[in-house]
Amino acid sequence: MSPEMATRLIDDLGALLLVTMLIILASGQLFRAIYAVAAQAVFLGIAGAVLAAATGNVDLWVIAGITIVIKAVALPWLLIWVVKRIQMCREIEPVIPISVTLAFAAAIVMLSFHLSASLGPVRQAVTGNALPVGIALTLLGVLVMASRKKALTQMVGLFASENGIFFVAMAVSQGMPLIIEIGVILDVVLGALVMGIMVLRVRSTVDTDIADLETLKG
Amino acid sequence: MTSSLLWIAPLVPTAIGLCMLLVRNPRLLGVLDVGGSTVVLGLALAIASQVDAAGPVSAAGILRADELSVVFLVLVGLLAVATSVATVGWMRQELAQGEMRADRLRYYYALVHGFIATMLVTVLADNLGVLWIAMEGTTITSAVLVGFHGHKHGLEAAWKYIIVTTIGISFGLFGTVLVYGAATHAQGGVQAGAMNWSTIVALSHSLDPGIVRIGFIFVMVGYGTKAGLAPVHMWLPDAHSQAPTPVSALLSGALIKCALLGILRFHTIARGACGPAFSEGLLLLFGLISVVVATPFILVQHDLKRLLGYHSVEHVGIIALGLGFGGRIGVFGALLHVINHGVTKALTFLIAGDAINRYGTRDMRKMRGYLGLAPWGGTLLLMGAFSLAGAPPFSIFISELMVLRAGIGAGHYVAVAIFLVMMIVIFAGLIHHVGQVAFGVADQTADRGREARWPLLGMLLLAVVMVLLGVCMPAGIDRVLTRATEIVLG
Repeated sequence: MSPEMATRLIDDLGALLLVTMLIILASGQLFRAIYAVAAQAVFLGIAGAVLAAATGNVDLWVIAGITIVIKAVALPWLLIWVVKRIQMCREIEPVIPISVTLAFAAAIVMLSFHLSASLGPVRQAVTGNALPVGIALTLLGVLVMASRKKALTQMVGLFASENGIFFVAMAVSQGMPLIIEIGVILDVVLGALVMGIMVLRVRSTVDTDIADLETLKG
Repeated sequence: MTSSLLWIAPLVPTAIGLCMLLVRNPRLLGVLDVGGSTVVLGLALAIASQVDAAGPVSAAGILRADELSVVFLVLVGLLAVATSVATVGWMRQELAQGEMRADRLRYYYALVHGFIATMLVTVLADNLGVLWIAMEGTTITSAVLVGFHGHKHGLEAAWKYIIVTTIGISFGLFGTVLVYGAATHAQGGVQAGAMNWSTIVALSHSLDPGIVRIGFIFVMVGYGTKAGLAPVHMWLPDAHSQAPTPVSALLSGALIKCALLGILRFHTIARGACGPAFSEGLLLLFGLISVVVATPFILVQHDLKRLLGYHSVEHVGIIALGLGFGGRIGVFGALLHVINHGVTKALTFLIAGDAINRYGTRDMRKMRGYLGLAPWGGTLLLMGAFSLAGAPPFSIFISELMVLRAGIGAGHYVAVAIFLVMMIVIFAGLIHHVGQVAFGVADQTADRGREARWPLLGMLLLAVVMVLLGVCMPAGIDRVLTRATEIVLG
């Protein structure tokens, strides 16, 4: 695959990542948000495969595979399992109206592209528009977490935010060293497991959403 | 020889933690806990003396011990020993009160050692990716510990802690990726050790300043969240106050310092790439906000452990201020403050745990006459409080004075003025709170039992270090801190 072709594909995939992110932001239903974050991880995996083909770096194939298995299958499955287990209300209650959230999102995307356009020659170290897309995804993930009250939506925002980082990490030079990527993914999985267990424990002991607990103040 | 020590140091607590999972006998668990921590401290001191004698040691380009990491390494080892010794007595009490179930003890101990192991990797990491992985590892292990009791409050604090710091340090990962990208770009391709701090620092002058600047902002916010710097400190007072007492001591004394080391690593890179003004300015800003934000919460606080938590925000702010003022005195003072605050805060958390146990409440308005109930603990509490408030002859006074001197030397008069005012207000607030707890007449309901030997031993160990560092500066520590300062200043 020629570098130009790879750049174009990465740009296209970056656009798809942003679209899935907007679906997460706009969704009023928890399942839709979970499926969107899974789809995002699939695009991320495809981006990894494209970069692997373009750079000839075998490690990236492995990373693409792990991404799809863990982030597109295992973690969404974990989320859905927890949702079914606690039989919670599946509507998402936004703290601020979704239209306002989307306006914020547009501002963040523009800011990210502006920021990265101000960078000098070092942009060549990152394929295509991966850098602004990555920055935007990371910040939008935080926006999801800040604008939603439910624990599981916060986890979705966290995963989406991490997808943005993985996107840049793949597109930078020839990707991060394989062993580091595996360590990072291991941390993500362990963290998700611990969070899932906490949600279940609170649900079983006090029957509320863990993110709704607000007794510690001042 | 020394390079294998670097591997052994984190492996010892890992192995001991795994062994603990198989042990059910509480007494044996306690022995393993104290023994394991002592070995960790011994290894830390061995590495420190090697580094002091023969300079930085590297292990396979993944771990590295230099004078800077040694400062944090010995702190982690020291606090591990002190808290594990205190845990012996604390655990007996918890079991007697039914707070801790005997069949779950082994998980607690194993997690504590896992937590210590991840902290050791954090301070010894040369590879910035390994640094991040270990940092997230500390979050996961300690979050489980914060919610270990399974109370509603504990779980709430643990959730806030894990969700805020995980998203926070994912920003740190982003910053790491950007700096790595800048480094490979400067090298013209991926070379061996391209992700290593030692490699990147060596070529920091040729890094693209634009991308390093963005990377440092991400790292500052990310690891700053983990370090408890305001305005991203919201989780800290909750987590540090709800955790089991020995864990509180480790979180406040050691863990937030490990996150600061992460910031320091990137600070040195940013200094080289963009000049000192940028990252120092950012550290100064975060430090000042932390000191200012913590002050009102310290004044109006009624929960003893939350008070100490907010106090940690303030002190992390002071360390950041020292680094932000810069210069040899500022950085030296900040590093000295890392040790001083770590030791003192762990000490006060251990005492706070005992006081809360005796009164059956965390509310300082209901605690009176602690000095009468526990003469040793009360004396140590007063000493710790005066030390935390920055009174001579304790160690924190000296490091704070250095930070102030650096600020005046660098001409940051406004920042120094704000800092001084806050210090005075906090001094008054803290001494007021602690004075009320220590003096007066205790309620009839308060526990008047004799002071347990083991917790006292752990506290005394810390108190001795706190007092010694206040009145003298051992030549070895001075030498290591001076060289660590040189590493930070490049």
